[in-house]
Amino acid sequence: MSNEPPPTEAEIVEFVRSIDARAPRELHERMQQLVAERAPAVSGRRPTAIRFGLLAGAPALAVALVAVLVVSLAGGGSSPLTLDQTVALTLRPATMVAPDENPHDGMQLMVSVDGVPFPYWEASFGFRATGERVDRAGGRNVTTVFYADSHHDWLGYAIVSGTPPQVGGGRVIDRGGTSYRLLVAHGTNVVTWLRAGRLCVMSGHGVGDGTLMALASWHAMGTTFAS
Amino acid sequence: MLAAPLMHTLDPHSLTKHVDRLYRAAWALCGSREDAEDLVQETFARVLSRPRMIRGDDELYYLMRVLRNTFLTSLRTASRRPVTAATLEDVVAADPRPTNRPERAFEVQEVYATIAALPDDFRLALVAVDVLGLSYREAARALQVREATLTTRLFRARKQVAELLEPPERGQVAELHREGTDASGVSIGEGMS
Repeated sequence: MSNEPPPTEAEIVEFVRSIDARAPRELHERMQQLVAERAPAVSGRRPTAIRFGLLAGAPALAVALVAVLVVSLAGGGSSPLTLDQTVALTLRPATMVAPDENPHDGMQLMVSVDGVPFPYWEASFGFRATGERVDRAGGRNVTTVFYADSHHDWLGYAIVSGTPPQVGGGRVIDRGGTSYRLLVAHGTNVVTWLRAGRLCVMSGHGVGDGTLMALASWHAMGTTFAS
Repeated sequence: MLAAPLMHTLDPHSLTKHVDRLYRAAWALCGSREDAEDLVQETFARVLSRPRMIRGDDELYYLMRVLRNTFLTSLRTASRRPVTAATLEDVVAADPRPTNRPERAFEVQEVYATIAALPDDFRLALVAVDVLGLSYREAARALQVREATLTTRLFRARKQVAELLEPPERGQVAELHREGTDASGVSIGEGMS
């Protein structure tokens, strides 16, 4: 710089703002490791408890563990929503306060997707609604309600708007005329099924497959056959 | 039904996308890449020490606030390593285009070192706005000062940086060469220009 005219303040501001030096790769790696180590505690959630024991020996284990399933949409112009994306949304923080219990129906909350209400589970299962978020992904609205119990186990329950996408893979259990798919995605247990023609995706932290199934198949909420 | 900018828990995983910007801010505050790495790491550790509530997309503002507090604490405790002058190779290694822009990389180090030489309040203002890219309002909140104060500090910081980076007058340089000394009285080698 020494042989050039003195820089003006504007030039300096422009130069400073144009600097795009990147942090060393090692720093990126250290920060990612730090986040990975501390994220569960900071999120106020228990570390993911993958119930390998429950699945050990099950013939469908391999299928469940590698299940990163693509949900192909019948319509919609944008890139198709994937189950992986949907599960990821159920693992993100709530952005809105928890919906209230429906004063006219003690089994439902005051939020629904295409007429499909989210369940009120506090009285029956001890899982109270703690928050809600709404996302737009793959041309669909994905509404997620989060639940937690007194043991700090928690659930992310998403309902995808519109025509139900096709879902494959995982371990399928038929109960009460509805097909439930159990799988593991993002390191957590997941169950998917249809309710009144809408895809439901629920992930559970500290929650085993049995509890997930009990919640998902709760008869009061009008499950339907999965595609 | 879409989310309004309500208070929500900071998503720890979202922090990793700010590492580069935070690193640049820390570098300009410290004047040294090594100290910048330490400052970024300490800032992340503080943020991740417990759940944090933020409003809307205020992640960067929040990080600046923690960065500022961490920086000031480190100054008070004098726990930082001595500032070491980065070599050209060091700077180049930090630049995304290391091989074809060494001169710019050197300038980056020079400018950041100059910012780091400013009084604390001035450099924090400049880093918040010009390095990190916060708005005046966000920067004022992060630095816990009034917006008018932030504006004044920023103005003075930019002015000082311009003055510090201003090369000596040509006549002054020639005079120095004739005398064979620089401004500090140290002899100038033959290769200097």
